[in-house]
Amino acid sequence: MISCRSVAELLDADLLHAQSWWKRAQVRLHLAMCGACSRLARQLEQLRAAARGAGKGHEPDAGLEERILHKLRR
Amino acid sequence: MTAVPPLAAEFLERLRRRDPEALAGAVQEHAKPLFRAARGMGFAAADAEDLVQDVFTTFLERLEAFEGRSQLRTWLFGILHRKAMERRRGLAVDERTDPIDSVFEARFDTRGHWVRPPADLERMLLSREAGERIRGCMEGLPANQREAFALREVEGLETAEICKILDVTVTHFGVLLHRARARLRECLESQGWSHR
Repeated sequence: MISCRSVAELLDADLLHAQSWWKRAQVRLHLAMCGACSRLARQLEQLRAAARGAGKGHEPDAGLEERILHKLRR
Repeated sequence: MTAVPPLAAEFLERLRRRDPEALAGAVQEHAKPLFRAARGMGFAAADAEDLVQDVFTTFLERLEAFEGRSQLRTWLFGILHRKAMERRRGLAVDERTDPIDSVFEARFDTRGHWVRPPADLERMLLSREAGERIRGCMEGLPANQREAFALREVEGLETAEICKILDVTVTHFGVLLHRARARLRECLESQGWSHR
């Protein structure tokens, strides 16, 4: 059976899609049976949602596009 | 975010003619995502805006060489990546070894079972302070991991597009993302919000 360590590495690296169907099936079965790994999968989903929210705090000052276009036209 | 088709030849031709409407369209569509990505890489607001300006200036200078086979977004983000690397010159780190790898390994026993399982961070990640805490933890990431994480998780770009932008293999990108997430996990879990 695939180890928690391998599952965690595959989930962290977003490399599950690049694996064989057999490996993907093993991971899915493992996640169905392992509370800690399914918590990791949930944690990564929550981190993704929160990171998107964090990005919203990085909006530029109003008029960014106009300032860029102004300089490009000079 | 879904993949978008390569740049239409007609639009590319208008850009080459410096058609004001086409240029404004490209800037309107891509300036904010580029700015957010630059901020996500750790540049202060003024530097991020300067960087985005530089990206569009370079884009126009090199437009003749652009064959339109890839998406405009991929090309612009690729320029951003190279400009960011130029500005960070001298901060390059040895990627072969990273202390976070040992921290990750220490969470498992010799058979690969969890010794220190992941914490439940739901309460913290759903809180009002989540964005601020994640930004704080992202500041502790090495530049290349931070950039990989920001493009994937903040901008939501697909793996194939990010690999083109960063000029790395899927495996290399996986290593960057794994290390970034492992570091963020350690940082967030250390803040005392978790319950197991």
